[in-house]
Amino acid sequence: MDALATRRAVSCCHRALLAPSGTAAPSRALLTTTPRPTTSPAAAAAVALGALSLPSGARTKATAARTRRALRIQPHYSFLHPPNKPGYPAYERPTTDEIIFNPPSSAASVYHTPVKFLPKADPRRRTAALVAAAAGTGSSTPSGLVDLDAFPTVNMPDARPRHHLTKADIEEMRRLRTADPVTNSVVTLARRYECSQLFVLMCCHAPPAHRAKMREEEAKVRARWGPRRRSAREERARRNLMLQNGEL
Amino acid sequence: MKRLRLDRWTSPLLAARPAPCPASRPRAALRPTTAASAFSRGTAVRYQSTDTTPEEHIAAPQEDYDDGTDHVRFPPLEKLPPGAASLPSPPPERALRSAKLAALKARLALPDRVPLQTLARALVDASADQNRLFNNSSLAFVGQTFINYHVSEWLLCRYPRLPMKILYAAMKGYAGPISLHHVARSWGIEHAAAPGGEVDPGLLQFSMHKPGDAFVALGYRRSEADHLKHNKWRHSLSNSVVFDDDFGDLIDTQDQADKMRARPDTEYGNEYTRMLAENAYATCVRAVVGTLYAHAGREPAKAFVKAHILARTLEIERLFSFKHPTRELSMLCAREDFEAPVARLLSETGRLSRTPVYNVGIFSGGDKLGEGAAASLDHARAKAAMNALMSWYLYSPGENVSVPSDMLEDGAKPWTPAYIDMGEVVGR
Repeated sequence: MDALATRRAVSCCHRALLAPSGTAAPSRALLTTTPRPTTSPAAAAAVALGALSLPSGARTKATAARTRRALRIQPHYSFLHPPNKPGYPAYERPTTDEIIFNPPSSAASVYHTPVKFLPKADPRRRTAALVAAAAGTGSSTPSGLVDLDAFPTVNMPDARPRHHLTKADIEEMRRLRTADPVTNSVVTLARRYECSQLFVLMCCHAPPAHRAKMREEEAKVRARWGPRRRSAREERARRNLMLQNGEL
Repeated sequence: MKRLRLDRWTSPLLAARPAPCPASRPRAALRPTTAASAFSRGTAVRYQSTDTTPEEHIAAPQEDYDDGTDHVRFPPLEKLPPGAASLPSPPPERALRSAKLAALKARLALPDRVPLQTLARALVDASADQNRLFNNSSLAFVGQTFINYHVSEWLLCRYPRLPMKILYAAMKGYAGPISLHHVARSWGIEHAAAPGGEVDPGLLQFSMHKPGDAFVALGYRRSEADHLKHNKWRHSLSNSVVFDDDFGDLIDTQDQADKMRARPDTEYGNEYTRMLAENAYATCVRAVVGTLYAHAGREPAKAFVKAHILARTLEIERLFSFKHPTRELSMLCAREDFEAPVARLLSETGRLSRTPVYNVGIFSGGDKLGEGAAASLDHARAKAAMNALMSWYLYSPGENVSVPSDMLEDGAKPWTPAYIDMGEVVGR
């Protein structure tokens, strides 16, 4: 995982360096603040630094070999056999016979289910309620003790249906989309009717001619990609797949 | 360095060996036949490492069996009953004298009520001996039903919220052919190169060339099976319960038989032959459980399944794969009437470095549902959602959860109803 993350990060930084200033950190767009502007010192520092300087992983070495050496991350020394450290007791050295099992503390486990997910009749609920009563909070977990608004939110889709569109609205949406699919794009319609783009896609189909044209344009754009952009996209797709399979 | 000529080393010793027992002397070995025409395929495989040229100096032929073995170099280990070698599998009375079989029975701590003859029968696959009175197909059918019932009831009670697909994968992980093959290997079962009446009854016997069609899984061949295979039709998971086998796989025995008939005989060491061997080993494990059930009863068989199959570790959390974890989590919260999930950045480090780490937690109201760390905000959020979903799906009432079959025991504790979940959040 480390190696993969490292390689991607390098290419990101490289791209950031080539891009005009001000677009250095596209990932920041993912972070939206709460309605009350956050006063998180970390976020503030990040914004300030991003405006002033380049990422620290940028290529600043004189030669390719030095850059490679600088960017190479050694594995954690518990994985090195035997760790070449003075005073490291021999019995603590890992051998190849051992299995290193070190899951992240946040990994899902059979032995820990969030209290909210427990069925009503589960005896663990009673214990949690006792703990909450002792702590004097309404919430059933210790996280109820801290003010959650201090942490900035990260985009999260709200899948709760609002049911605010009538049948007439949907008919109108369909009519608009069929009449002029260029002006009434999916994004425009979603913004206009205050619904998700997925809902627009569920409601209307663009005329086949428009779909063919869009597909053609996309193919043209794809044909212009060079090997770097293409491989970067392929790698991103593969990385997403690995993430979904729990391999990252 | 000069090549070592091992055959030259051993030749004086072989020459000094006394003549083998006349009872097992092959009569036909003397007949002036060519090796290729006289040998059946199976025997050719079995003795492929031996010198198969007929020898003129062998005297006193007794038995009517011709496998081309050089009985001067390889004297038989035991005296075979007359006609044994012409049988497709070892005769049952030989089971009493097999050291391998006795060792296997002792190793598995099988009770005395289990006769060695039946244990020997459990080691004969239907592809080795077509006769159902002598192969393990009936025992294996009992065994597979017994194993699959206990594994599925245990999985359903222990992990009541597992999605259907994961449940099938977990079934396969515990009781599938590959797992049972590993179980059989861990018991020390080995296979004969080819089946036959003269083989040690303690060896697993199966044939790579003849389909053993006696063993039938519970299920039906779908009428649309050809479309499913060739045109990649999709089918819903829920009707797999009725149509497909216990692991959610399509049943197509005819197709398997055709495939086996079409393959060249000289094919070895590829994925297909490995699959055949694994299936034979798995069938043998099922037959051993069936043997135990037939001779010792339900309770010992259940304890045996628990000790040898359910005691194995399967990382169920590794079986999951999510397409849209955040969306699925939102739908779960909407379905269960929880507050809408909110992802919050709990901590971060190195945002401007090449190795940033973001730690994102997902909250519903004041409760944290999951947490994940990754090198980008999007990935961290997805990981947190996946962890939250997994902790939903991996809910377990406890380690020693009672299963329905516990009630069949004498003096069982009163039944506490198992937790039944309403089903998975999204169809996969």
